[in-house]
Amino acid sequence: MFRIFAIFLAAALLMTACDSSTSKGYELIYSMEPESSAEAKPPAETSGPPARYQVAFVPKVGNDYFMYAAEGAREAAEDLGIDLLYREPASADAELQIEIVEELIERQVDLIALSANDPDKLVPILRRAMDEGIEVVTWDGDTQAEGRRFFVNMVDPEVLGRHLLDTLALTMGEEGKFAIMTSSFSAANNNEWLKWIKVQQQQYYPDLELVTTVTTDDVTERAYEAAKQLLADYPELDGIIGNSSVAPPVAAMAVKEAGKLGRVKVVGLSNPNLMKEHLLDGSAQMSTLWSPKKLGYLTIQLANDLLNGKLPVDGREIDGVGNIRVNGDMVIMGEPLDFTAENVGQYDF
Amino acid sequence: MIFKRRFGWKLRDYPIAYKLTVTYVLLTVIPLLLLVYVSYTQYARSVEEQIGEYMPRFLYQANADIEKHIDELTRLPDMLFNSEDVLTILRRETYDRRSALNRDQYAMNSYLARTYTSGRNADVMGVFVLSNGRLFYSAKVGFKEDDWNAKLGDYIGGVKTTGSQARVVLPDEIDVSLDTDVPYVFIHKPISDNDNRRNLGTMMIAVDLSFIDDIVRNFEKNERAELWVMASTGKIIYHTNRHKIGTIDEEKIRYPTLNGSFRTSASDPAKLVSVNQSPERGWILVHSIPLKDLTERTDLVRNVTVFVIIGIILVTSFIAILLSYSMTRPLKKLSSLMKSVERGDFQVDLQVRSGDEVGTLARSFNSMISTIRELIQQNYQIEIRQKEAELYALQSQINPHFMYNTLETIGMAVEEGETEQVVDMVTLLGRMLRFSVSNQSKSVAIAEEVQHVKDYLTIQKFRFEDRVHFEIVQMMDDEDYHTLYTPKFILQPIVENSIKYGLETRKALEIYLSVSQEFGARSGKRDIVFRVRDNGPGIDGERMEELEQSLKKISFEGRNAHFGLINVNARIVMMHGADYGLQLHSIVGKGTEVIIRIPMTRGETIASADD
Repeated sequence: MFRIFAIFLAAALLMTACDSSTSKGYELIYSMEPESSAEAKPPAETSGPPARYQVAFVPKVGNDYFMYAAEGAREAAEDLGIDLLYREPASADAELQIEIVEELIERQVDLIALSANDPDKLVPILRRAMDEGIEVVTWDGDTQAEGRRFFVNMVDPEVLGRHLLDTLALTMGEEGKFAIMTSSFSAANNNEWLKWIKVQQQQYYPDLELVTTVTTDDVTERAYEAAKQLLADYPELDGIIGNSSVAPPVAAMAVKEAGKLGRVKVVGLSNPNLMKEHLLDGSAQMSTLWSPKKLGYLTIQLANDLLNGKLPVDGREIDGVGNIRVNGDMVIMGEPLDFTAENVGQYDF
Repeated sequence: MIFKRRFGWKLRDYPIAYKLTVTYVLLTVIPLLLLVYVSYTQYARSVEEQIGEYMPRFLYQANADIEKHIDELTRLPDMLFNSEDVLTILRRETYDRRSALNRDQYAMNSYLARTYTSGRNADVMGVFVLSNGRLFYSAKVGFKEDDWNAKLGDYIGGVKTTGSQARVVLPDEIDVSLDTDVPYVFIHKPISDNDNRRNLGTMMIAVDLSFIDDIVRNFEKNERAELWVMASTGKIIYHTNRHKIGTIDEEKIRYPTLNGSFRTSASDPAKLVSVNQSPERGWILVHSIPLKDLTERTDLVRNVTVFVIIGIILVTSFIAILLSYSMTRPLKKLSSLMKSVERGDFQVDLQVRSGDEVGTLARSFNSMISTIRELIQQNYQIEIRQKEAELYALQSQINPHFMYNTLETIGMAVEEGETEQVVDMVTLLGRMLRFSVSNQSKSVAIAEEVQHVKDYLTIQKFRFEDRVHFEIVQMMDDEDYHTLYTPKFILQPIVENSIKYGLETRKALEIYLSVSQEFGARSGKRDIVFRVRDNGPGIDGERMEELEQSLKKISFEGRNAHFGLINVNARIVMMHGADYGLQLHSIVGKGTEVIIRIPMTRGETIASADD
């Protein structure tokens, strides 16, 4: 009897001695493995070599500004691993761009990023492209909203327009006559800036007088002629605003040639590389622009996001660009940069 | 199965005490232990599961906090772009004069100090900017190595910059180390000129990771809990045990989940490990605590319970054993007593005082044994007395003295020629001898008994002639007189006594014998009464008292003078009970009367009683 009793006692002690964890190794108690991670993996795998996107990058025309934009676009395409097709029209003509788009539709590209020469004329062909399943975004020069998914704008047009006049007013001492050289009256972005230049003048600078607005068609030769014509037509002219990148350098050159260096102030939108010489010799006072490389880079980044189903989000930081702003279907890259004789050497575009 | 059957077979043969104890153990101890065991394990498990469920949530939060904090830190380099001056300096590639370089150096270093190391960013231990062969820095903590700037330059030169993403560099990936004990990492970020799309250099920020302490200590205060952060490769970035920073967690690849918790016994002691992996950076925050610490309180309760239960088991087992013994001990004693009774020893007494069934059994046993004992005693003594009485009666019948006297009297009668008298005497003597010898039964009919005493007295009358007178009166009907029975030889000893004492003192002795039926006060019915009256010397008071005492005791105290009376009395009492027997009335000098009272007994009753 005592033997059995002892066995029970021993069993009791044994039970208390050994814990429940008799199994060796790992025993899962609780898992909160997020389901999204399981879903997120397969797409990550499929975005490999077979799905290499074809993106077409179309500028208004082949000039320095658009060349730099294309450079940025190529860099982004390389970083993201997508194929970039660069198609530039021989001149800043909407008809030529329509031909290019037709060809791209035929090639069945995945996306067309276009800087439109005309906001209206291109809409039908872009809508056709969208019907064919091709995504369309615009950059630099916008079209009507129905012709594209979103527009990648460099700067806020209001800010730019007002700022351009401010820089001119500053150099002219807020009084005198000035002229504006714009690309064409059909380019949507240039028109928008023009509008804000005029608003700013009416609001703050009653002593400034806009004498005329001429077009350049973004062609250097035509611009040069126009600049010379301006100086000839308006001998008492005090300042020129170049509203597209080709205008300020040729204006500065014309001023120099006319021997009016320092008397006629030149400001406007242009690349620092084109303006460096004129800024240093005093034929131009200030140049304002953004980095066209950055614009090209951002456009391709956003194009890639769109192809992956992501629309741009306000305040998002784009690697290599910075924070973007989104206003409706318009993306704003950032603030304009001012180039003067002091800092123009720092920029390479 | 064989075992079971054998066990069952064996169990049946075990003592009751054994069975009781085993039953007790089976019914009490096992359920008790099972209950405690199951409830303890379930409780401990539920504690573990609770912690295993909420700890990953804490970790998730903490990891998100850490991630957020690191994210904030990785954005620190962007602050460089806030200053045009800084960008100008960074974009500058060549210098004409040393003083120009030194001016930039000064401007840059003071900007770094203002922006990073002094003020808001408490976690920043130092910033180092390498740009176009120039090194700008501001640091709160120095390096252990003297040639740190060269080594840092080598490191940055050796890293292939891909994109402009910030990267966390662990201290052991780099040849230099900060002269500090706190855990830290470097944040490595290429400085890119977004406008020109060029690289301007590299920025390294040394970040103090102690902020993780604040985050994790919010929810874990147990000293034995370990918390660490490791990269997805298993390399430990931060650990509450500082020595483990930089080592690789070998077990990481065996973790069953990276978001959840599990129990591990791979390490000693067994631990509950909770993990969470951050979605962006892939950092794994691990919390590990020994199971023992979780169930500390439970363990105490368990140990106390176990000891209490062992105590209870010991006490109750003791009580159970005691109880079974107290129950079986009387039974054992009973069985051993029964054995001794079997052997013939009736002088036993089962000492059980309890009032329960066992006590009742013991009392019944005791009373049974005493009844048996009494019965034996009674029968035994009755037998002995009867034998003695019969022996005595036999002896008196063939009393040699009587025979001799009678024969002498016959002889004298022959000499005197009284033939008729001789014939009578020989006839009487013959009849007396026949009565004594031939009849073996203990009882005889009253008539026979009276005839026998009459014969005796007649012989004595022949011998003593006028000195003896007797009279026998029959005061009942003849049928009863012949059919009622009486014990044998009850009258002769009394008559003998009367003759013996009477002839010593009296010249003429008169004996009167009557046989009657009277109502007896003690028996409550009609009895047969013999009265023997003489005119002998009587019995004085002292002797009378002695005699009455002897009659009451119904004992044999040797053959004294009154043995005859006592023997007759004893025989009657033994045969018919204390209601019957002898009564003496005596007046000194006048005579004695002996009254013999017996029940009315028919022959058949006697025969059956005699067996």
